[in-house]
Amino acid sequence: MDDLEKLFSEYRESLPDPEPSAAFTPGVWRRIEARRSPIPFLRRTAEAFVALAAVFTLLIGTFLIPRIQNASVYTANYIDVLAAEHNNNETLDFPETARADVNEAAPR
Amino acid sequence: MLVEFELIERARDGDDAAFNRVIQAYRKRILGTIARLIGRPEDVEDVGQEVFVRLYYSLDQLRTPEVFEPWLYRLTVNAAYDYLRRQRRRNESRMSDLSEQQVTMADASAGSRRSDEEGRRVKVHELVEELLGSVSEEDRILLKLKEVEGLSLRELEKIYSVNENALKVRLFRARQRVLKAFEGKKAQDAAARKVTVREE
Repeated sequence: MDDLEKLFSEYRESLPDPEPSAAFTPGVWRRIEARRSPIPFLRRTAEAFVALAAVFTLLIGTFLIPRIQNASVYTANYIDVLAAEHNNNETLDFPETARADVNEAAPR
Repeated sequence: MLVEFELIERARDGDDAAFNRVIQAYRKRILGTIARLIGRPEDVEDVGQEVFVRLYYSLDQLRTPEVFEPWLYRLTVNAAYDYLRRQRRRNESRMSDLSEQQVTMADASAGSRRSDEEGRRVKVHELVEELLGSVSEEDRILLKLKEVEGLSLRELEKIYSVNENALKVRLFRARQRVLKAFEGKKAQDAAARKVTVREE
């Protein structure tokens, strides 16, 4: 052991571990409580919200969108839609006034 | 390890009673390390409490309980650095720190004559602090952890997260500087003794 090592060893002995006071541990808890902030709570809430939104998006993508896409209005082509419209027009009843005009104009 | 791994895991999982037991187990050792790092007995508990508060809020980042002690030492070293930096900002020179400490130590033994043993302790303390004044604050803490606290290079490697060789070089250089200052001090003392003898 050289002189410096001996000196460091004496220094270590001159400063033994101090005995903590009775107020030490309660003091630690007081500081912990004082530093508790709402940030962790807000973060947990935000994380839960994001998870819920992700599940909701997934459900919409899996069930709702395919159902909407299978509706006839999205699967039919332009001609089919026109034909359907035409059929609808044929079955419409003329109004009473229009029917009277037609009868008067007919040759006797 | 002063506590079981399981207790650390419970504390990490938010068990306050387990954390309380961790404080009880480590507080004396941590306060001792802080006392030797900062050299101001009146502020040791304050810095010690700060270490445990930081531990409480960073425990969830601890990957494995096996690295708990180096982790705690790192927090202790960082808290000591922060304290010393604050002190420096307050423009309190190291010499005045030392004299204040002397005053505190003298106060502790007020009413009675300081024994030879106490006088010797104060002398050793003054000398070591003076010698360590020849290196930077970082090196001073590193040297104290190695030479006074008795931490191994492997432990220091974990605390500082640097490789062993870099630590060895840094420690060697710091130690050489302190040794040089020590030799100078011894030569100075010898010369002073000669003068005193001649005068007598």
